[in-house]
Amino acid sequence: MISLKKYAFRQFKKIETRAHELNYLFWECTTRCNLNCIHCGSDCAKDSTFNDMPLNDFLKAIDTIEGKAPNFTIVFTGGEPLLRNDLEQCGKELRRRGFRWSMVSNGHLYNNERHYSLLNAGMGALTISLDGLEASHNWMRNNSNSFQKVLNAIELAASSKRLNFDVVTCVNQKNINELRQIKDLLLAKNVKAWRLFTIIPIGRAANNPDLQLTDKQFVELMDFIAEQRKSKDIDVKFSCEGYVGKYESLVRDSSFFCRAGINIGSVLIDGSISACPNIDRSFAQGNIYTDNFYEVWQNKFQPFRNRNWTKTGQCKSCREYKDCQGNGFHNWHGNKQNVLVCHHQKIEKGSA
Amino acid sequence: MKNNRIRNVLKGLSFTSAMFIFQACYGTPQDFGYDRLVEGQVTSETTGLPIKGIKVSVAGDNSYYVTTDDEGKFLMYSEKFENLVVGFEDIDGAENGSFRDLFKTVEDISESVYLEIALKDKL
Ligand code: SF4
Ligand code: SF4
Repeated sequence: MISLKKYAFRQFKKIETRAHELNYLFWECTTRCNLNCIHCGSDCAKDSTFNDMPLNDFLKAIDTIEGKAPNFTIVFTGGEPLLRNDLEQCGKELRRRGFRWSMVSNGHLYNNERHYSLLNAGMGALTISLDGLEASHNWMRNNSNSFQKVLNAIELAASSKRLNFDVVTCVNQKNINELRQIKDLLLAKNVKAWRLFTIIPIGRAANNPDLQLTDKQFVELMDFIAEQRKSKDIDVKFSCEGYVGKYESLVRDSSFFCRAGINIGSVLIDGSISACPNIDRSFAQGNIYTDNFYEVWQNKFQPFRNRNWTKTGQCKSCREYKDCQGNGFHNWHGNKQNVLVCHHQKIEKGSA
Repeated sequence: MKNNRIRNVLKGLSFTSAMFIFQACYGTPQDFGYDRLVEGQVTSETTGLPIKGIKVSVAGDNSYYVTTDDEGKFLMYSEKFENLVVGFEDIDGAENGSFRDLFKTVEDISESVYLEIALKDKL
């Protein structure tokens, strides 16, 4: 018999899906980047042939939103958003319209001046990636100065009380044994929140075995997070990326729920309307240059809100399906005949 | 309304406090609004005309500052302190006129405040 907790959560997900209140919107405002990370291409279609999206085009799209949710956050993503020198103007325009905004950055260009100008423009949350200690971070970022720069950025961001700031680390073969030291480093820099994720095996990442964790290492990662969460000296968690079975209540604040297309939307560099930028681009539901953004949000997004189509391949006869629903939406790429990664299976195999 | 009630009951039953707090793997945490808007206009007490180039900052942290534009206007987001002290300083010498510095304590703690500031001429 399933527990009351599980039952309540399943019902809750149904209600959230039916309501599909948009409150978290990615804006892929540029695909230019100042680094050449070895996993690039695995999480979004980085293509610098696109021009940055003009602010006014984006504003026209979001001006269609009716009955805006409280705490609606627009997340600037890229490429590297800091390469746009009109970010502050973009931020102020969004705040003027009652939206909050935040940014995901590699930290390379995040200096004192930019820190304050972005805060002055109303930035309320920030995520910076740190992918290991010096050698492994620089390896991943393909740049020998990246570590030093990102540490400066982290120190600056952590000094602000009003910024909801966290560090993300993409866990891979090179840094899995450094996690404790990375945590100490973050504590020394006064960082309050740390999110760990693994990589989807697509793009360049698919052919690089150093980037994938073995099943055993994945279990080690779960154990590490579960153990560190007990000490409460830093808010460490596993990202939303997948359903982790018996670790569900140990590695995150709430159970797995992929909110792509349910609460999370996006406007991508070419105007496509979708959800998280790491989702296969063929799932785009419309385009801001031809469609009314909010009408698309309200009336389309069926594959996101009814995930029955994921009952295929190994998910077809899976006993965990009701809680997992085919894992994170970003795990469906290419011909979509099977889920790319089943975290639950990794755990089962890795614990055997 | 009814949906929200059901939502909250289910939230309670599944024993989690973080139901409405989420972030996508590649996204940021949500912004909970720990800042507030401070905007306004700076004019000359003598002529009533707007003053350009005045440094507007939150006292105690000199890094947060903006300068007034051609219309003497400024806009910035600051931390939500009670009794926030906002400084107005003439930092461009005789250019745009010479004015005495002024520090204003803002008691109002609402989401946004509009300040009308008149600066005295420098003696
Ligand atoms: S097989 Fe599919 S539904 Fe089952 S746990 Fe794995 S990803 Fe989830
Ligand atoms: S698609 Fe992936 S990143 Fe987006 S909410 Fe779902 S699990 Fe998280």
